[in-house]
Amino acid sequence: MTSFAISGWGMVSAAGVGRKRFADAFDAPDGPVDVSGMYDDLPPGPAYALPSFNARELLGRKGTSFLDRATAMALVACEEALADSGLPLDRADRVGVTLGTTVGSLRSTSDYSRETLVAEKPYLVNPVLFPNTVMNCAAGQAGIRFGLRGVNATIAGGRLALLNALSYATGLLRRDHADALLVGSVEEFTPHTAWLTRLSTPDSVPGEAAGVFVVEPLDTAVAAGRRVDAEVLAVATGFAPGGEITAALATCVATALDRAGVAASEVRFVATGEASDRLESATLPDAERILVQESFGECHAGTGALQLAALLVTLGRAGSGTVGVLTGHTRRGGVGAAVIKGATACPR
Amino acid sequence: MGRVVITGLGPVSSIGTGAREFAAGLVDGRSGASPIQSFDSRGFPHVHACEVHDFAPAELLHRLRTNEWGRSGLFAAAAARLAVTDAGLDLGAVAPDRMSVAMGTTSGESQVVEALTAQIVAGGLESMSPALLEQHPAEQLGYAVSEELGVTGPVITLATACSASNYAIGHAYDLLAAGEADVVLAGGADSVCRWAHAGFYRLGALTESRCAPFDRDRAGILTGEGGAVVVLETWEHAEARGAQPYAELLGYGLNCDAHHPVAPNATSIAACMRLAHRNAGVEPDQIDYICAHGTGTAANDATEAQAIVDVFGAGAPPVSSIKSMLGHTMGAASGFGVIASALAVREGFLPPTINWRTPDPAFAGIDTIPNQARRATVRVVQNNGFAFGGNNAITVLGAVA
Repeated sequence: MTSFAISGWGMVSAAGVGRKRFADAFDAPDGPVDVSGMYDDLPPGPAYALPSFNARELLGRKGTSFLDRATAMALVACEEALADSGLPLDRADRVGVTLGTTVGSLRSTSDYSRETLVAEKPYLVNPVLFPNTVMNCAAGQAGIRFGLRGVNATIAGGRLALLNALSYATGLLRRDHADALLVGSVEEFTPHTAWLTRLSTPDSVPGEAAGVFVVEPLDTAVAAGRRVDAEVLAVATGFAPGGEITAALATCVATALDRAGVAASEVRFVATGEASDRLESATLPDAERILVQESFGECHAGTGALQLAALLVTLGRAGSGTVGVLTGHTRRGGVGAAVIKGATACPR
Repeated sequence: MGRVVITGLGPVSSIGTGAREFAAGLVDGRSGASPIQSFDSRGFPHVHACEVHDFAPAELLHRLRTNEWGRSGLFAAAAARLAVTDAGLDLGAVAPDRMSVAMGTTSGESQVVEALTAQIVAGGLESMSPALLEQHPAEQLGYAVSEELGVTGPVITLATACSASNYAIGHAYDLLAAGEADVVLAGGADSVCRWAHAGFYRLGALTESRCAPFDRDRAGILTGEGGAVVVLETWEHAEARGAQPYAELLGYGLNCDAHHPVAPNATSIAACMRLAHRNAGVEPDQIDYICAHGTGTAANDATEAQAIVDVFGAGAPPVSSIKSMLGHTMGAASGFGVIASALAVREGFLPPTINWRTPDPAFAGIDTIPNQARRATVRVVQNNGFAFGGNNAITVLGAVA
């Protein structure tokens, strides 16, 4: 059974930029911050956002003026991941990107739509901003910025976006469509996501996150001397028609464990994306639970990246060979699980 | 690796709904263009699109409640249901976890986002309705198909813009060839929306009422909509139930221009063609027809033709653009391309590029099948899909041997 290595990763979250900031916040969460200065039109209350995030400072001036926040966050996370892994790009036609999202940037799309309604003429929209309205904008920009001409994919999955991207990516690698992939998920904090969070799940605190992980066949990473943070042993996804999520998720977890050749009793940690609904608590009851929402808020498509990062930090400290599981579900019935085995004995 | 076949076609389009009507539309060179009805087009200099005016989801769907889903999800589910019926597939005879769904889209539930925006304009962000918010995520397109058909296997929604169906159908190929599924419903869906109409107009990429790919005086796209889904099966599964495939899916290739957010790159597109050929195990001289991306913009058609000449030299096969008839159906476009290609293989005809009047010297060496469909033996088809972000995806179909 082919295994895949995570050989580096990058993160932009309320904790700041980079894996160290994430690990520090994971250990000692600061809580949500005052975001009232970020935008007009925000709902009241703090959020798990990064007000200090400055795209132009982090990415430079060239080609960054018109990027929306989601794209900028994704690019920074990609850059961190590439630097962290040291992945060479001499065969850039074999290195690609698979990014998970909800709708790309709801703000970009809705503001564009708004312009056609309120502008003096309905076609007086800004042509430069048009690409931002399309969901594959961030992945496409990552391809341009880093010269990655391999498979470039965007997956709409919300809370399951990272799991779907990971499933898709490992499939591509298994079938030799690419040598390595930047796999991640992203959700920006804007008035649109803040309000949709408040209106849909009033008990949640909105947040933002962009996490990207370098995924490649384990053999390649080892042969090239790249540090392996963890192995992706298996990913399984499914759907529950009629919304019978608990049973479907249990089946999904069992399938993933079976593919990974891991018994349920061997799983030490479970990272879930949920907060209050606890639908996922029935699976793997003996494993220690990691609830990223408690430290990073409701980050929608960014949730999966936070879950995976949290697992990597935890597994990295627990000793080589420790197994964790990442679970996810969406209200409409999507379910998913990934089995991750820690590889690095010492945390970075 | 196992062989993969296409056994059912489910088009919901402006030129016809269902395989038979759609095929007749292609053969007749039917145009789906009409004055826009789905949004207030006053104030726009151009007011035509290729909408599906007669879409009646309640009549096509068995399980979904139509008031719980956006238009794109309903297109996807209706197209999937049509494809299953066309395939003669008894869903009760397939294990639900051995089925999978892969859908592609550009803008997902664009009309839901527009409705949310109208709420924002009228009453501020706080007035967005939770019901619409529940419908807006693009992943709903895949779920709509899974829910309609009762599929419990993996479901994925690929949001790779205007090549997304080819990504989805390629993904289906991978799953089936590896034996991870027996049946996959794959394709794409999108809805006409005001902001895309405005955006393409503002880019100078929107023509007034005739989409004329490869014509010297072509002036851009017409936006379109619909659902294009096919049933794909492993060879073994199709054979065991006595299905008659339309065509075999031979393989696909994906790459990225990594060059410009919207402008296509000929070198990269040529590389994608070669990759698709290699993965499908075919040589250029085996290809009998290219179903072009053919949007009808100056840039795309010139770039695509340049890539074709680069790869095929003087021996390029006939090339046509069904966008001349359907408009640009965005994420569904390459799905309609797969459907048209499968029909071309099975029925033995080449779809036309309609609205063609004046030859462009740049395409002198290429037969663009102007205006009239043509009888032909079609053994191998290359179906092109390109997109913003340089997301290239090409699928290759072949006659069932």
